[in-house]
Amino acid sequence: MDLFGQYVINGLMLGTIYALVAVGFTLFFGVLDVIKFSHGDVLMVGAFTGFTAAAGAAALGLSHPALQLAATVVFALAGTALLGAVIAKWLILPLKNAPRLNILLATLMLGTALRESVRLFYPDGSNPKAFPALLPTSAWQFGQFTLRVDSTILVVTGILVIVGLHLLINRTRLGLAIRAVAQDEETARTMGINYTLIVLVTFALGSGIAAVAGVMDGLYYNEINFGMGLLLGLIGFSAAIIGGLGNLYGAILGGFLFAALQMIGAVALPFASAYKDVFAFAVVIALMAWKPTGLIPERASDRV
Amino acid sequence: MDAQTPAIEISGLHTAYDKADVLIDVSLVAKPGEITCLLGSNGAGKTTLIRSILGLTPPHAGSIKIFGEEIAGEQTHKVIARGVACIPEGRKMFPKLTVVENLRLGAYQEPSEAEIRHRLAEVYETFPRLAERRNQLAGTMSGGEQAMVSIGRGLMGKPRVLIIDEPSLGLSPLYVKENFRIIEGIRDKGLTVFLVEQNVHQTLAIADAGYVLSGGRLVAGGTAAELKSNAEFHAAYFG
Ligand SMILES: Nc1ncnc2c1ncn2[C@@H]1O[C@H](COP(=O)(O)OP(=O)(O)OP(=O)(O)O)[C@@H](O)[C@H]1O
Ligand SMILES: [Mg+2]
Repeated sequence: MDLFGQYVINGLMLGTIYALVAVGFTLFFGVLDVIKFSHGDVLMVGAFTGFTAAAGAAALGLSHPALQLAATVVFALAGTALLGAVIAKWLILPLKNAPRLNILLATLMLGTALRESVRLFYPDGSNPKAFPALLPTSAWQFGQFTLRVDSTILVVTGILVIVGLHLLINRTRLGLAIRAVAQDEETARTMGINYTLIVLVTFALGSGIAAVAGVMDGLYYNEINFGMGLLLGLIGFSAAIIGGLGNLYGAILGGFLFAALQMIGAVALPFASAYKDVFAFAVVIALMAWKPTGLIPERASDRV
Repeated sequence: MDAQTPAIEISGLHTAYDKADVLIDVSLVAKPGEITCLLGSNGAGKTTLIRSILGLTPPHAGSIKIFGEEIAGEQTHKVIARGVACIPEGRKMFPKLTVVENLRLGAYQEPSEAEIRHRLAEVYETFPRLAERRNQLAGTMSGGEQAMVSIGRGLMGKPRVLIIDEPSLGLSPLYVKENFRIIEGIRDKGLTVFLVEQNVHQTLAIADAGYVLSGGRLVAGGTAAELKSNAEFHAAYFG
């Protein structure tokens, strides 16, 4: 029972991270019909920015973990939001009328450039970094079952971010503009919406959310490395696809589904847990063959 | 700005898609508080003229002034900020947004929630059907109801100049009549209306002035009364 509980918490944790990555893919596809392959590497840059900010805060004498955490989150969010907007403005918008494959390729190359830059130029960038434990390390004990405070904070935070995004998209003027642009760019312009601004804000938003996922990942595993965005980006993309690309709730569902598959692969199946990703991706491929338009097809639901 | 400043003043306008010239040396004026219509057959370039005004297809030469201020080539949201609104050809609903969300987008640049609510109430008064259906997805509305949403959305911006592109397209005669009545009402509230139509007789019945576009060039223009009796116009339009 104890072990099962840990797997559930672990699955929720991973599902939240994946969902946060997947909603980025969905937002970008929503407003611009593009797949931004550098998304995972932007997440990695966010994690490194947060890591650097925590070290910087410590060097400045801010020894309280809460202050270091605040610095981590603020800089990671701001840095990636800016990076996302810059990528949208200088790489993606100029390629807007180019074939979709060119954008895919360009962002794939950008992702590699980001990854290699961190590896080569970050001090000792080719080695993993020990992410500081900024959250309380205590735990609650419920009989057999131990619930770590840090995991709980991370899962709750991630879910709050998702709920916040839902409210932003559905209840605010900005969200209405994002949905309008996603449905019909030209008519959205005719309504007086500043199209370019909305695209940049959307990319900043999606990238900032990815940074949250990156920092969560660092805090959970106490480690980050220059290649962490590769697998997370691929998983987030898969989650967005199985949810029905362009659908926010599908992406969230896809994220949790992928984490559940990994947990099943690790626990319930007769082979070693190292195969959990192989198992999860195999199921994703099967799902894609079975439902090519995703579990929640776009037609039946709102785009973005 | 004095009373004589035209609401829209276009001169020497040339617009092209890629290399194909669509508008050639178009010059026209729409006086404030009037309905000015633009008539012309399919493919004449009427929608292109509207797209040029809105900055969706910027002209490559010529001038467009809204109440005396040059806007040619300006970004669309800046044109809208000058008090222009458009009811586009084919309604252009946001099909997966609700009726009220569509209407609110019409007032996107209005910061005051109280003012937006006030305008919503006005639109609901004009179109009680929209009040009943406010939470329905616009894409599931009937064609006639979508026309109401589109007109209501155009009015939500409280524009000084309202541009309407073929409002009667695809509507039953009863709706067409109702539409023209509403457009007349909009003018009577003091708005300037620039109305693109193919429905010559009903349009000239409510318009104050008009122009005829043919093959991208203006071939006739004048008051509605002049156009009605203009032989050249009849030749251009029907011939
Ligand atoms: N996006 C475009 N790219 C290339 N050519 C275009 C484009 N839009 C319109 N055209 C061409 O420009 C010309 C004028 O089109 P426009 O839509 O302005 O006509 P219109 O007068 O509005 O016609 P209708 O009454 O059928 O709406 C047509 O020959 C059309 O084929
Ligand atoms: Mg047209």
